[in-house]
Amino acid sequence: MASAYYEFYRGSSIGMALTDSLDELITSGAITPQLAMKVLQQFDKSLADTMVKQVKAKTTLKGHLKTYRLCDDVWTFIVKQASFKMEQNEMITTPRIKIIACKNGDAIEAGKK
Amino acid sequence: MSFALPARQVTFGRPSQYQQQQQQNGLALPGGNPYQPQNALALPGPSPLSNPYQQPSKSQSPPPPTNANAVAGPSTPPVPSTPIPLTLEQQHITAVEGIVPTLQNIVATVNLDCRLDLKTIALHARNAEYNPKRFAAVIMRIRDPKTTALIFASGKMVVTGAKSEDDSRLASRKYARIVQKLGFEAKFSEFKIQNIVGSCDVKFPIRLEGLAYSHGQFSSYEPELFPGLIYRMIKPKVVLLIFVSGKIVLTGAKIREEIYTAFNQIYTVLCEFRKP
Repeated sequence: MASAYYEFYRGSSIGMALTDSLDELITSGAITPQLAMKVLQQFDKSLADTMVKQVKAKTTLKGHLKTYRLCDDVWTFIVKQASFKMEQNEMITTPRIKIIACKNGDAIEAGKK
Repeated sequence: MSFALPARQVTFGRPSQYQQQQQQNGLALPGGNPYQPQNALALPGPSPLSNPYQQPSKSQSPPPPTNANAVAGPSTPPVPSTPIPLTLEQQHITAVEGIVPTLQNIVATVNLDCRLDLKTIALHARNAEYNPKRFAAVIMRIRDPKTTALIFASGKMVVTGAKSEDDSRLASRKYARIVQKLGFEAKFSEFKIQNIVGSCDVKFPIRLEGLAYSHGQFSSYEPELFPGLIYRMIKPKVVLLIFVSGKIVLTGAKIREEIYTAFNQIYTVLCEFRKP
């Protein structure tokens, strides 16, 4: 069941922090590596669910789509001269951004790199 | 003219890994035909990037001054009651009126003659979509000439969207190069234009009912299903969609001359059914 979730949130700062803490706990012998794996799988699931259900922040993106790709249900977009318009009318521009969008169950989530 | 694609095309493939291979292979596509129009009727453009479709065809654009009817002016074309026996002068009328169908789409097929691993292509080529659950081909696009290709695992490819024969061929070659640079032994063989679509506007409204009635053999007009009249011309074998507004779509041709001939033939008929 846990394998149904992507592991890319482990690379986020919160995911890295969790991994570090688990490593420490394993080294000190407080938990087993199996338990640590289980925690990480739960993290994958929880974060995926939370992103869908609780994160309501929205942004609009404008730019020139340089390349795109769809393979294995994963979309990759490279957008040049991208500008994000945040909710408080805050604008953030960047010369180039890569967007990786994955499907997760029936929800679609976007992870950015 | 070089048969190879320009060096900037490198951007389509994988970066460095294949460039070396490319140099070993030589830039030209193996087994490819020299770059030239498929048939003698195609207009010889000066370069593959020219737009020869904007020029009138050779067979339909002899010097207008020799045409006596041309002097009569655009508003008084002689209207024959039957469309079939067209004299050359009558065919010239449309050219004189300055209406030449614009080519809108060309569909061509190519055989790359090599089994392809579509997942590799989808992963490494840019602007590719591959969703085997929906469609068993990689859908790839390039910006110049702006076209879309469907690439199948069998090595067959369909290239659509080109506006001229030359563009269609150039685009097909570019796709073949992309596939080649991904490490497949792709050839460029059996390039064939399968369909040409053109459109134009005769700039006067048309009585479709009258046309459907008197050309019932060729016409199908069901305004409840589709607002246009579908005219299946036998010779040349071209299907025309004729709209009340005077806009015409011509499709089903394999060579552009068929589009021009079909338009010239239908034009005289349309004048007959011009709305008063």
